[in-house]
Amino acid sequence: MTLQECYAALGGDYDEVLGRLRSERMIQKFVLRFLEDKSYDLLCASMESGNYEEAFRAAHTIKGVCQNLSFTLLGKSSSELSEALRNGYTPEADALVEQVKAEYQQTAQAIRAFQEATAG
Amino acid sequence: MNNKTTRFLRGSLIGIVLLCVCVFSAFSLHMSGQSAQAINEVGTLYMSRMSQQTSTHFESIIDVQMDQLETLAGTIPSAAIHEDPGLQEALIVQAKARDFAYLGFYGVDGALEMLYGGQITIADPQPFLNSLKQGERKVAIGTNSQEEKVMLLGWPSPHPPTETHNCSALVVGLPIEYISDNLTLEENSERAYSYIIRKDGSFVIRTADAYRNNYFERVRAAYGDINGMTPEEYIQVLSRTMAEGMDYSNEFTMGGERYHLYCTHLPYSEWYLITFMPYGSMDSTIRHFTSEWMWLTMLVAAVVLGALLLVFFKYLQLTRIQLRELEEARQTAEAARKEAEHANRAKSEFLSNMSHDIRTPMNAIVGMTAIATANMDDAKQVQNCLRKITLSSKHLLGLINDVLDMSKIESGKMTLNMDQVSLREVVDGIVSICQPQVKAKQQQFDVFIHDISTENVLCDSVRLNQVLLNLLSNAIKFTPDGGEIHMALYEEKSPKGEDFVRIHIQVKDTGIGMSDQFMEHLFDSFAREDSARVARTEGTGLGMAITKFIVVDAMGGSIDVKSHQGKGTEFSVTLDLEKAEVLEEDMILPNWNMLVVDDDKQLCESTVASLASIGVSAEWALDGESALDMAVKRHKRGDDYQIILLDWKLPGMDGIATARRIREELGEDLPILLISAYDWAEIEHDAREAGITGFISKPLFKSTLFNSLRQFTGLPEEEERRPVETHRDLSGKHILLAEDNELNWEIASELLGEEGLILDWAENGQICVEMFQKSPEGHYDAILMDIRMPVMGGYEATQVIRSLERGDRDLPIIAMTADAFAEDVKRALDCGMNAHIAKPIDVREVMRLLGKYIR
Repeated sequence: MTLQECYAALGGDYDEVLGRLRSERMIQKFVLRFLEDKSYDLLCASMESGNYEEAFRAAHTIKGVCQNLSFTLLGKSSSELSEALRNGYTPEADALVEQVKAEYQQTAQAIRAFQEATAG
Repeated sequence: MNNKTTRFLRGSLIGIVLLCVCVFSAFSLHMSGQSAQAINEVGTLYMSRMSQQTSTHFESIIDVQMDQLETLAGTIPSAAIHEDPGLQEALIVQAKARDFAYLGFYGVDGALEMLYGGQITIADPQPFLNSLKQGERKVAIGTNSQEEKVMLLGWPSPHPPTETHNCSALVVGLPIEYISDNLTLEENSERAYSYIIRKDGSFVIRTADAYRNNYFERVRAAYGDINGMTPEEYIQVLSRTMAEGMDYSNEFTMGGERYHLYCTHLPYSEWYLITFMPYGSMDSTIRHFTSEWMWLTMLVAAVVLGALLLVFFKYLQLTRIQLRELEEARQTAEAARKEAEHANRAKSEFLSNMSHDIRTPMNAIVGMTAIATANMDDAKQVQNCLRKITLSSKHLLGLINDVLDMSKIESGKMTLNMDQVSLREVVDGIVSICQPQVKAKQQQFDVFIHDISTENVLCDSVRLNQVLLNLLSNAIKFTPDGGEIHMALYEEKSPKGEDFVRIHIQVKDTGIGMSDQFMEHLFDSFAREDSARVARTEGTGLGMAITKFIVVDAMGGSIDVKSHQGKGTEFSVTLDLEKAEVLEEDMILPNWNMLVVDDDKQLCESTVASLASIGVSAEWALDGESALDMAVKRHKRGDDYQIILLDWKLPGMDGIATARRIREELGEDLPILLISAYDWAEIEHDAREAGITGFISKPLFKSTLFNSLRQFTGLPEEEERRPVETHRDLSGKHILLAEDNELNWEIASELLGEEGLILDWAENGQICVEMFQKSPEGHYDAILMDIRMPVMGGYEATQVIRSLERGDRDLPIIAMTADAFAEDVKRALDCGMNAHIAKPIDVREVMRLLGKYIR
């Protein structure tokens, strides 16, 4: 699995990220680092405990990271989630959290597949 | 209420007027009564004074003569005078020396023995004689032989009568004029005059007018009203008063003139002086005064009434105005209430419509998802479901976007994000978005650009797109299959000045049109033509309200609509846009000869003009046949066109057929370009086969023409224009980066590190502030600040840093955040940050801004 294929699988824009980070090596480094990022766990935990302010920031951070890495799909849903939580909890947030979770899993899965491919 | 007030005011006005009239009348009456009384009193006082004066005067005249008489009597040496003519002669000399006209001795028997002056008959001898006998001095009247009245003065003889003589008194006479000249006895209506009468009313001295012998007779005959008494009563009262020796005062009327009379006793006599004074002069003075007083009173009354009336009318007017204002305010409030009710009802209707509109695609999504789940193995079925789900969700998204925009507008939060916009790009974009829909409905779609010289303007491109898209998609939506849609852009001078340009945008269709009633509410929020077509079409009905808000309220333009039901609709949008400051590159092409073929004459002319402005001379033709003729003629002359622009849709022979014929006639060398507003993907194959060299998409801006034609000049293709990167070398600058996410930090650090910057990481706003505080002054050259961070956010951190007591507290702070709304930018600047960069990180932009702000 190539990096391009990984981007296609996770719904990202490879050309865009290449324009920003300039080398495949750099992209690869940061894409792999994405799995270590704790924002997603923070989001889940905050939603669970009802700390929506924290959840907003977590969603916002995910959005920022996704934008930097051009993870378009997850970036969009996390952006929508952060808007839904910007002024406290709104009912739309629940559905959006599910969407973010699903797309995060999709993204993480793609990256892991890529990781295995490069390792192997 | 109105009537009541007016009635009260009228009533009180009349009341006040009446009161005024009454009070002033009573006052005047009282005053004139007072003045009448005053006249009476003054008259009485004046008359008594005058009568006293007259009587004093009379007395003094008599006294003077009496003194003379006494002296004369003193010269008589003895009683012998009666016998001695010598002595008598001496006495006569003495008497004449004293101007006496008559001299005589008065006997005890009443016989008057005259020494000179002639015989005199005494008028009323008895009282005269009696008084003299008793040794009193006395005055009497007598008549001489010529019947002339003579005034007689008697002095008791110093030598009492003896046997030898019976003389009891010495009598001298003076002409009556002596006394009457000294008393005013002429009757005159202007001045006072007097009579002298006896007790029985007979005149002693009278005026010429009083021809009767007795005053009482005159009273009976001539006097009118005597202060309420009859003449007889008056005579009685006067006689009684005279008998008592008292003074008498009264007034009477004679010949229409009012007189005052005063009667007093004269000394040395049985006579009474009656003085009359006509009221005439005094009366007229006082009457004048009274009438003046009356006039004055009336004037005052009039002034007071006038003032009252003025106040009253002013008040009435004010009351009316107040009432009217109240009524107007009530009507306004009523109108506002109705409007609010209407808006509320519209909102409710809208909500019920919306809930239906939202539920429909939502149900489709839910249903299709269920079907897809049930048919997971049937790939075709799943694909079909997914397609439908995509359609429904797009539709749903459109609805929701509209509602969100509207709520943003209604809460006043919609702001414009002004940026440089290329009209060409905007219109190109819109056209490419609309093409699929137009194609699906097989509509005739044309875009016409008329001499747009300013392609780059300052505007919010997203909102401008929204407006154009809304107008166009409405036109497409409400125009039946095969209908026509026409979009035109032209520019004109803006009244706002040199830096602005006025852009007109017209969107015309031959669709179903709108009813007049609907047009009235076209731009209202939550309105939608409530007819059968709602069932056929979809939407929130907010599109036009949003469009109107963007064009009119936010961009300050105007929007106009003309429509006939069944015939079509035409929208005109006018915007004054600021010209963007871009250096338009020189767009000059070689001096080619070109042919433009289009069935729209206007488009031909406009395109020829645009071509002329970039140095190309062009001709035009309206159909394929004549274009072919023109090209062939030129070919024969050996003066071929360099390039031919052909419209695809032409009457008769279409563009492709024409191209084919031209190729047959002229060979393969000549470039032929096809103009079209449609997506040419589907005709590309046919076109290439027919010998079409390339395509130019409508609208034909100057730059569109230039960029499409320059490839035939042999010049290099336009390079992607990039701003010349002139940013300074910032190697070694210390930058503090506040960012809570490690991954983002690493990316930023990596990218900016490559540019030679030295970065320190602060995990949140609090740490950022602490690190900055601990650093030596001037260590950091700038701070890049994330906004959303735990513990302390970017706004607060900036405010804290700006308030520190440090020389470098005003170092550049640049916000870096994923929130890129205009409001966020504004808030960042409000907090004291220098600039705002939207994520994802763009190294060039970051370097540009750092270069700009680092000193």
